[in-house]
Amino acid sequence: MSYINAYGIALPQFRIEDNMLHPKAKKGGMKSVCFSDEDIITLAFEAAQNCYENFQFPISKFKPEIDGIFFATSTPVFHNRYHASFLADLINLPQEILALDFTNSYRSGTDALLLANDLIGSGKYKNILVVASDVGFPDIGKELSTPFGHAACAILLNNEKGIAEITNSKSFSSSLAEEFQYKKSNIQYDPRFSRDAGFKNNITTSLNNFVSNPKSFDAVILNSLFSKMAGGIFVKAGFEENQFAKDSLISNLGNTGTVHPLLLLVNEIESGKKSILLADYANGTNFFEIKINSTSKHKSLQEQVNNYELIKCYQDYLLLHKAGNFNSIKYKTKDMFSSEMMQEREKETLLYLKGIKCEACGTIYYLKSARCKNCKCTTFSDVQLSRNGTVYSYTNEHYSPASFPPITMAVIDLEGGGRMTVQQTDTKYPENNKLEIGSKVKLVLRKMIENDAKPNYFWKAKQL
Amino acid sequence: MKTQTDIAIIGIGVTKFGELFHQSYDDLVRDAAMQAVNDAGISLDEIGAAWLSTAFPEIGVFKGRSGMDLAEPLSLYNIPVTRVSNFCASGADAIRNAVNSLRAGECDVAMALGVEKLRDRQPQDSVVKMMVEYGHPFLQKGFTAAGTFAVYANRMMKEFGITREDISNISVKNHFHGSLNDKAFYRKSCSLEEVMLSQMVANPLTVLDCCPTTDGAACVIMVRAEDVDRKKHKPIFIKGLGLSVSTGWDLPFFDPNHDFLSFEATRTAAKIAYTQAGITKPIDEIDLIEVHDCFSIVELLTYEDLGLCKKGEAKDMIRGKETHLGGKIPVNVSGGLLSCGHPVGATGIRMAVEVSNHLRGNAGERQVQKAKRGLTHNIGGPGAIASVIILEN
Repeated sequence: MSYINAYGIALPQFRIEDNMLHPKAKKGGMKSVCFSDEDIITLAFEAAQNCYENFQFPISKFKPEIDGIFFATSTPVFHNRYHASFLADLINLPQEILALDFTNSYRSGTDALLLANDLIGSGKYKNILVVASDVGFPDIGKELSTPFGHAACAILLNNEKGIAEITNSKSFSSSLAEEFQYKKSNIQYDPRFSRDAGFKNNITTSLNNFVSNPKSFDAVILNSLFSKMAGGIFVKAGFEENQFAKDSLISNLGNTGTVHPLLLLVNEIESGKKSILLADYANGTNFFEIKINSTSKHKSLQEQVNNYELIKCYQDYLLLHKAGNFNSIKYKTKDMFSSEMMQEREKETLLYLKGIKCEACGTIYYLKSARCKNCKCTTFSDVQLSRNGTVYSYTNEHYSPASFPPITMAVIDLEGGGRMTVQQTDTKYPENNKLEIGSKVKLVLRKMIENDAKPNYFWKAKQL
Repeated sequence: MKTQTDIAIIGIGVTKFGELFHQSYDDLVRDAAMQAVNDAGISLDEIGAAWLSTAFPEIGVFKGRSGMDLAEPLSLYNIPVTRVSNFCASGADAIRNAVNSLRAGECDVAMALGVEKLRDRQPQDSVVKMMVEYGHPFLQKGFTAAGTFAVYANRMMKEFGITREDISNISVKNHFHGSLNDKAFYRKSCSLEEVMLSQMVANPLTVLDCCPTTDGAACVIMVRAEDVDRKKHKPIFIKGLGLSVSTGWDLPFFDPNHDFLSFEATRTAAKIAYTQAGITKPIDEIDLIEVHDCFSIVELLTYEDLGLCKKGEAKDMIRGKETHLGGKIPVNVSGGLLSCGHPVGATGIRMAVEVSNHLRGNAGERQVQKAKRGLTHNIGGPGAIASVIILEN
């Protein structure tokens, strides 16, 4: 038993329409697609930030009290060195925490939620941050037949009374995988077999086992690749049609994999439901009974779902497949030297945005120095720089290699002092770019350039 | 500071600037050095010490990493030869080092030679590659050299009401001057429309607002003023010489006090040089100026930093054609970097040669009439290092 006390969402800026992916697709559907400098880590980071910014946890209170971070994704951990510990380090959590990864199944988002709930119930852990993040590109031409949609969701569970309460949870296992990866290509078992022997069988038994009073829920969320054909099973178990929560996200974002059940849950919390049954099927079912204590004032999911930019052609979508920023048709760079040492050594500045403040004249510098350039004073104190700022000057670099030229470089005066000069991001189409002197921007963590071992993550400016 | 011995330039030499596929790095050294030595009427063996200025051996032909790359092509052995590297102010810094050596009495005849060979590589293999692949993997990534100055242009347009036409008119002026210079790379004048409609590099700077990188070399031979032989030499005297490093590679873009409207380095270097030369009103006391117009905005901005006009009034100078050939104070009558191109290590010395030619009355078609005193200016890095040299006949 535990409480949901905060949640955060991160959706990419860009969407592609289904009928651009395939001419025969139905109109109106969209998939959310990462920009070329985003990956599961940057999305997960943004969701975690969104989590405590939205719910206004003072960072000092939030961070030391977190004693567990669970990272769920369907991207294999060792494929790209992404993991919970790495994320914990990015958001500057202490080292004395439980950092666990949940992968290899579309159910791992709710697996993480289930275990976090049980650990808090046991009393050993107090605050666990569950983050699910999925970024995967299907094979070319298979975008509509494979679960596809990029998103991240962070949920903070603890034992203090909060927005919602997980009153009961249970997991039922099934050995039949409906879809899995073999040598990088997706393999599907005969869908009739995995559907009938796996899904139907598992859901029917477990539903009868877990639910005693079907009428007590005002929202029933079923997340599964087969969810469309589950109505009959639920009706047989005593549910009514009007109890089913409609999955409005799938047409806006696509199936966001491990993130999807958590997004559906947040969606119901934001729409003011009181009592929720969450069932998430993949190789078995995770069930949750959730009571909503207070209607959330935040509509962060709804806001982000409605705020997007469309990809204009299939070729642009193909360009997004190529990770990294500095490759273009004209120019191919060799890999950057791995700057892992630099990233670790200068972590305070590069990742945590710690600056220095001159004790005498008060000038705030991002870069370290022995003396203040302004007044030559030698004593400084540390300051936390803000992620928000105003553009002081800028230029569009047409000759700097990029997937989507030009790269806009912006000189930014940060709120509360300090100045940084960084690239602008989420600008695929120059004609839509409205950045000018005086524009308000926010710093977001993105990939700078790809290297073979580990991407370099650094700040870029996103126009507000 | 103590009163300093006057130093005289007695020999000058400069190669053609451009894509010199038929000349190697060593050929360029020989070409410039022999011109200067012959001009001074001395033999190579009289040279007591030499300075070689090459800024970017790594993105050129890997020559110029040390002074020996000057000694070898000239067989100039058994004397001290030092390589100087200070970005775009490298050439001027070589002159400064030679001057100080003469003043200190280390040698009696000193050579400063700048040479750069950049065009053997593909354009995207040299300067752009340097900005993209080398250096700090996070800070300033995405900038090219043009962009680092374009942020100044956008801020100046906002603050001072400078228009894109003002910026591009600098390029029009310098390309016209370049058409008169047989050593320049671009020898074609262009219209305002051509500049403004050419390919955008980093807005508001178009390709014709940016100088090309080129191959080239330039050389000066210097002696103490007392050693000048008036029968043999046409000496040009170095009356003031200032060099200043006033910020770093990254700091300008991370310093909240930086206004992107002026280069502190230029102001400091100019102050040093003006004091030495006794100049108080530069606009009236100087006859011609070679400014480091690597990007047209830099020339405009430098009018103010050199004290030719008040802050924010540079646009009036270009609008009033005061800096054209025949105007009140001609600037970049050689065509500047925009026409000559920018072989980084050679540029500062090329400017000294250009001004010397005017002061000697040898500049041909583009001669500035009755020129008595000239100034050269270089700015290196992101406006971090500047040099100002005052020359008189």
